[in-house]
Amino acid sequence: MNKELELWKGVLSDGTKKSKLEKYIKGWEEKIGSFLEIDLNRGAYDSNESGALAGIPFGVKDNIAVKGFKLTCGSKMLQTLVSPYSATVVSRLQQAGAQVIGKTNLDEFGMGSSTDNSALQQTNNPWDTERVAGGSSGGSAACVAAGLVPFALGTDTGGSVRQPASFCGIYGLKPTYGAASRYGLTAYASSLETPGILARTVATTKDVFDIIKGEDERDQSSLSYEAEGGQVKTIGYLKIEEGALNADVEASYKSSIKRLEDLEYTLVEVELPTMDYVVPAYYTIAMAEASANLARFNGIRYGYAPFMAENPNELMKKSRHEGFGDEVKLRILLGTYVLRSGFQDQFYVRSQKIRTAIRNDFEKLFTKVDSLVMPIFPTAAFHHGSSDLDSFQQKVADKYTCVANLAGLPALTIPSSVENGLPVGVQLMAPYFGEDRLFEIAVKAEEKYPAPQPEDFDLEWLS
Amino acid sequence: MDTKELYHTASLARLELDEKEAEKLSREVSQMLEYFNHMLELDVSNLEPTTHALMKNNRLRRDVVAEQTVDPDEMLENAPDLEDRFVLIPNVL
Amino acid sequence: MSNKYETFIGLEIHIHLEANTKMFCGCKAQYGDEPNTNICPVCMGYPGVLPMVNEKAMELGYKVARALNCKLSKNTFFERKNYFYPDMPKNYQISQFEEPVGVDGWMDFDTPEGTKKIRIHDVHLEEDAGKMIHAGDMSLCDYNRAGYPLLEIVTEPDIKTPEDTELFLRNFQRMVRYMGVSDGNMDEGSMKCDANISINLVGKGLGTKVELKNMNSPRFVRKGLSYEEERQADMLDQGKALTQETRLWNENRDQTEVMRTKEEAEDYRYFPEPDLPIFRPDQTFFDLVESGLVELPLTRKHRMMEEYKLSADQAEYIHDDLYLADYFEEAVKLGGDSVQLFAWLSSDVKKLLNRENLSLQDSPLTASWLTELLELISSEAISGKIAKKVLDFVFSDKKSPKTIVEEKGMSQVSDPAVLTAAVDKVMAANPDVVEAIKGGDNKQRGFLMGQLMKETGGKAAPVPLQKILAEKLG
Repeated sequence: MNKELELWKGVLSDGTKKSKLEKYIKGWEEKIGSFLEIDLNRGAYDSNESGALAGIPFGVKDNIAVKGFKLTCGSKMLQTLVSPYSATVVSRLQQAGAQVIGKTNLDEFGMGSSTDNSALQQTNNPWDTERVAGGSSGGSAACVAAGLVPFALGTDTGGSVRQPASFCGIYGLKPTYGAASRYGLTAYASSLETPGILARTVATTKDVFDIIKGEDERDQSSLSYEAEGGQVKTIGYLKIEEGALNADVEASYKSSIKRLEDLEYTLVEVELPTMDYVVPAYYTIAMAEASANLARFNGIRYGYAPFMAENPNELMKKSRHEGFGDEVKLRILLGTYVLRSGFQDQFYVRSQKIRTAIRNDFEKLFTKVDSLVMPIFPTAAFHHGSSDLDSFQQKVADKYTCVANLAGLPALTIPSSVENGLPVGVQLMAPYFGEDRLFEIAVKAEEKYPAPQPEDFDLEWLS
Repeated sequence: MDTKELYHTASLARLELDEKEAEKLSREVSQMLEYFNHMLELDVSNLEPTTHALMKNNRLRRDVVAEQTVDPDEMLENAPDLEDRFVLIPNVL
Repeated sequence: MSNKYETFIGLEIHIHLEANTKMFCGCKAQYGDEPNTNICPVCMGYPGVLPMVNEKAMELGYKVARALNCKLSKNTFFERKNYFYPDMPKNYQISQFEEPVGVDGWMDFDTPEGTKKIRIHDVHLEEDAGKMIHAGDMSLCDYNRAGYPLLEIVTEPDIKTPEDTELFLRNFQRMVRYMGVSDGNMDEGSMKCDANISINLVGKGLGTKVELKNMNSPRFVRKGLSYEEERQADMLDQGKALTQETRLWNENRDQTEVMRTKEEAEDYRYFPEPDLPIFRPDQTFFDLVESGLVELPLTRKHRMMEEYKLSADQAEYIHDDLYLADYFEEAVKLGGDSVQLFAWLSSDVKKLLNRENLSLQDSPLTASWLTELLELISSEAISGKIAKKVLDFVFSDKKSPKTIVEEKGMSQVSDPAVLTAAVDKVMAANPDVVEAIKGGDNKQRGFLMGQLMKETGGKAAPVPLQKILAEKLG
């Protein structure tokens, strides 16, 4: 186990440390509101007290099931639902000893890039509370960046782990599709999303990944993990059109490339021919799948039910009308539309073909380079509300992250620099099951440029 | 997308829309669909659709009754309306 | 219906597969349990759960597709069929569409006009919904059935009459029972059948299709289709246009009623199920499917006619039930005469079973005991009349026919000395009757035989007895 986790071990079983943690969390939470539910005791019963990670707290995005905790998905629809079961990735961590201390805020059902689409609470960026923590795993990123937990779980459908990690100055791993079980992840876009890890060090990211990865009989799309090793010599960096990135982000991206060269990697500029079509393809697939995945929420077996309804149809319509937020409704509508007979070929089928084109692009690319470095988001953390980026612009901005989801490839956000008081990250990508390559590069970079810490970050009480 | 199509699509998805919402959504939906239409620029004629992400073939579950790890009663209690062991829904004819 | 129209009938048959667990989770697939007890987060559609394909269901699906002479898929996959229904937890049904387990098959069935062939469009796997019970202004949902493994068989519109449809369905039921893939009971809901029917002027091809639902026996399917055939012909006769719609059979009113029109039809928005990998059967799997093939009912019926000299009706009767057919063949192997066996099984044995409310399986009469009974008759150890009594005792005492005959002293007397003595005694006691017979009154012979039977307690073997009597009477 790594030094950081060693430091956190037993915190929850040590009365003094636990109360110090409680106080520390309280202080931060008043400012950032990263957790929707928090309980330092409840999770103890489900964690293996003799596990290597015993007494180590972690946070879980509130669209991932943890038995005995709520599973709101940031939605009024599920505001009162308590999960009767746990996700496989959660169970594996509990088996290793780690303890869930709470559920973190998110954009409703993972749909958004700011966590402002949560129907339940606002989450602020620990670096600047006027700004968003990113999304949709904004709560998980914020609580890790503030040092409330050593790591948290998130989900990444189109960048939902990597973008908030970048906004908050931490590491964020989206594993290879199928490398970690999706069982227990409230489905938004099944063929795109994976569970992900947010942490402050590469070592913790890797240790947690080692625990959660691998085939799960409850997820027939999961795969047994066979690492694609190989030493990294050449790293491709994506050619970026002028003006595509904010100045700060562009500067940060350029310095990252320079730093990788300093680490004695060979950097070559690369292009992805289909890059211009990834966002429409991504959203077509995501929304189509979402329209089916969210159909189960109808106010009958669980969840929000309207005050009055006369028949099943009215019950379903009212519960969905009152239970879902605007962004969710928009995506369900669009997803329903692109699957309708007569429109499927134009939208859904075409998007799946573009997906094939993107995969082909990457396949070719990885014959020339061992890894890739790319920007994450055109901006650093933006202000709450839509004054900086409206909801449509936010979607277009998913360009750099959603390609990994379309291709199913692993990608890792690493903190790059702090520009004008805000952290900016870049992402590394590798072939399928090439997570080791990502860690290898990230560790080297971390030695010189560890994750930055926001003001008031203080873990003195731990040691 | 015109209003008729919007309402038909909403009805397929069991979404109720009031007028104000319909107006707002209609704008947003049209904006996205226009954006989606960029996909038409790419020649996809020789590409097969990728319907599944990475998948190992032939994952099947043995036909053996599994131990109940979640108490059915616990799930029933989550239902907004119950009668005896039945989930209750209104059905005024 | 007048001869100017031609009828086209196609079927969508759903069968519950004989598996221990549901299609996509490990819950028990079992009828009759307390409501909402066989449920788990997967079949209740909780957030975050994923389906897991039942291996047995996959195997059975392929077996049926194979038995229906389908082209078997080398890469079958599931799709989501999207529509909202209160008893369908996910509000989509995991089904198959583009690449079902089998396509383009056919099935033969016998009709009074001979064997007919129906083309099978496809065979696909899917999951069942729960059950809704309507009570006043409320509905009660039970999700025990939600997720049951279902197989849907879709035929081409090749059936020409409602009568043939009923026959086809009975053939189909028999087939799935023979294969052990489903019990095929329509009244219990383990088999369902929706039909589509169109009529048109002869030679004009398919007409406007009407779908019929809610018929829970082959007989009701026939009745519903007959009603619909008449209704559509009347409409056409009156020059009215038919509408494409779905109608429900109302068994209380003996009529069909509109359920929904084409305009209200759902758009199912099928797309590949991202949670489940494509299934690519290997040779081992195909071998397993082949090895599980059984002789199908129709083949067996035709073989039985040939091999055992049964008439079509006799073979129809015997092969209808798999157990009866096996029983019959076992008895033949043990030496039973096929025609005798049929006679006994279709009358006396059947009557007794009905009286005792037993199935052949549950009755004490094994194939070897029935053969034994027939042997006792053919060897003249007992008479046919006595045999019926012996059969009664087999059921009540649960002992073999031989044991019963021995224990109860029921065997026939054919010893000439004993019979001669009896004849002498009876003739001596009825001299006037003997005189009358000798004088040519043959009607009185019956009386003497009756007296002889009385004398021997009914056990005298009739053939030798008559011979001795004839000799004595000269």
